[in-house]
Amino acid sequence: MYTKHKEETFVLNLGPQHPATHGVLRIKLTMDGEYIVNAEPVLGYIHRMHEKMAENRTYAQYLPNLSRLDYLGAISFSLAHCLIVEKACGIEVPERATVIRVIMAELNRITSHLLWFGALIVDLGGFTPMLYIFDDREKIIDMMDSITGSRLTFCYLRFGGVSCDIDDTFIAGVRDIVPYMRTRLKMYHALVSRNAILQERLVGIGNITPEMCRSYGASGAVARASGVKHDVRQAEPYSGYERYDFDIPMSTDGDSMARFSVKMEEMEQSLRIIEQAVKNVPAGAYRNGKVPRTLTPAVGDFYQAVETPRGAFGIRMVSDGSNTPYRMKLRSPCLSNLSLLPEVVEGMLLADMLAFMGSLDLVIPEIDR
Amino acid sequence: MNDIVSLLTPLSVHTPRFVTYTEKGWHLDALIVTERIIDATRVLADAGYTLETITGVDWPEQGNIELVYDLFHSDRRERAVLRVRIGRDGAEAKSISSLFSGAAWHEREAHDFFGVRFEGLADHTPLLLAEDADYHPLRKDYGAQANDVHQT
Amino acid sequence: MEPQEIPEGLIQLAVLDDLLSLCRANSLWPLTFGLACCAIEMMATGASRFDIARFGAEVFRPSPRQADVLIVNGTISRKMAPSVVTLYDQIPEPKWVIAMGNCAISGGPFVFEGQYGIIEGIDKLIPVDVYIPGCPPRPEALIEGILTLEEKLTGKRRFPRVESGAQK
Repeated sequence: MYTKHKEETFVLNLGPQHPATHGVLRIKLTMDGEYIVNAEPVLGYIHRMHEKMAENRTYAQYLPNLSRLDYLGAISFSLAHCLIVEKACGIEVPERATVIRVIMAELNRITSHLLWFGALIVDLGGFTPMLYIFDDREKIIDMMDSITGSRLTFCYLRFGGVSCDIDDTFIAGVRDIVPYMRTRLKMYHALVSRNAILQERLVGIGNITPEMCRSYGASGAVARASGVKHDVRQAEPYSGYERYDFDIPMSTDGDSMARFSVKMEEMEQSLRIIEQAVKNVPAGAYRNGKVPRTLTPAVGDFYQAVETPRGAFGIRMVSDGSNTPYRMKLRSPCLSNLSLLPEVVEGMLLADMLAFMGSLDLVIPEIDR
Repeated sequence: MNDIVSLLTPLSVHTPRFVTYTEKGWHLDALIVTERIIDATRVLADAGYTLETITGVDWPEQGNIELVYDLFHSDRRERAVLRVRIGRDGAEAKSISSLFSGAAWHEREAHDFFGVRFEGLADHTPLLLAEDADYHPLRKDYGAQANDVHQT
Repeated sequence: MEPQEIPEGLIQLAVLDDLLSLCRANSLWPLTFGLACCAIEMMATGASRFDIARFGAEVFRPSPRQADVLIVNGTISRKMAPSVVTLYDQIPEPKWVIAMGNCAISGGPFVFEGQYGIIEGIDKLIPVDVYIPGCPPRPEALIEGILTLEEKLTGKRRFPRVESGAQK
């Protein structure tokens, strides 16, 4: 392990352009040979002024912004915005719409986790799973595309429901995808999870204690892999999640392998939720027809938390009674997860730091907002 | 949560109150005396709360900036909100990064957007803005206002 | 950086030029330069369904010294702008630039009066050869962009252009 041999260190700059596909993150590393003495993330290279834009847009005009915030989990982020506005304006959502929202959100969670999986293995040097997961992603995205019209940055949810109804082809397609994805997950476990090289690269790397999670506000798979039981879908259920029977994968190891296993298991749990949701989609309206064109929520502030593929996303919305928000604060899960990087990587090998960052599942535009 | 209320009351401006969770999204709301924010946060940290985020809100008509601290207890499934009000000119607050290490980045962001300086925070370099940024974009007197909004 | 002096005493052969253009067009090596959402669609284009390898462009090089096309995908923030220009300068000639997505073309959905953070279009910094609109553009659109760049290099188009109903 790392023991300080020499007094000489050098500064190595990682990013903002680098092949690890997380986005534009820059880390200033002070290195002693191959070991990291100090790591300082530098953010802001994709700061797109989302919070300032919120003050200049009506609530409906702001809907596309949420999808671009974290483009891999766009439905969950849009869902948070819709839920908080519906809470503030007292808008009811029909049953059918809540079930459709859950199906889309869980399908989105699976596509996001698949991409995380491919990107992590690419970071470690294995290129093949990347091609396999894109194939699976295309199959799921095809179905979502047929209903929502988008492949990536879905702007599908509306206040009071969804913008377009699902049809029988979609339901039949989703019913087929579930067993197909189960066989694929089995294949990934057999080929990748039990691979000796992956075990060497991930086991014991980047240990995060539960106290660290609490101190930094880490959430999502990062916290659950360290033993902190926190999933917003069960802690503060929204959109009918209390009706579905699913487990929360947890681990107490806290290393990168634990985060890996937790996220792989989360895909299986998402399939369980989709199975239950698609079994009986209630008939009825897919959208509340009585939502006014211009929304003016009550004066005051509101908070809504949602479990995105990356962790607990929160919106704190301050309304002054006009048709634009007074302040829209977006609580990014990846920001809290990344903030524990400097403490964890001290004394690590550089290659191990990349494996650790891959296991954190970062999407930088969400951090920079 | 009543034990927390009794500990927070001497540190607050008014008695902390409970709000309806389904209407607002949290349980306990307290406006803390600005200088006692570290003690108030310590009450919640000792009880097992996590800091989720620190939000700055600019209220130019009232002449102050509000800092909202959102805290969450994962076992009890309870949310608490602490607020402080600081002046707009020479905005100064106390840093809680000694209690929650994650607060450092939230406070740097509040400094970026509102120009708030935190006593006890060593590093005020911009988190999201350019290194030489000397403007604070989320203040209401900066740049674009909500006047040029199109009605759909 | 100072402009380079190109020696004048070169003999240019048209056939050799055509051959070189054909070779370059069929092996465009992009730089791995994903900024934001459009990067995912670029990755999807490199994956098996859309398969940019058919056109010789699947070799994404992480180092700008080994790349010849810079596909700018995603929003360019003011903080990132010097890095983009540095990367462009580091790519050896001949090089081309594809602006993929609305943000790279003109700032995309993030333009509002008084905006402080982004550059409204990469063509404000570096010369662009092909613009691909979309937010994000479909992988088929990126392939169409690569084919348009190939047409720009060789003068001939690889596949017939698909006529939309409106053009007839």
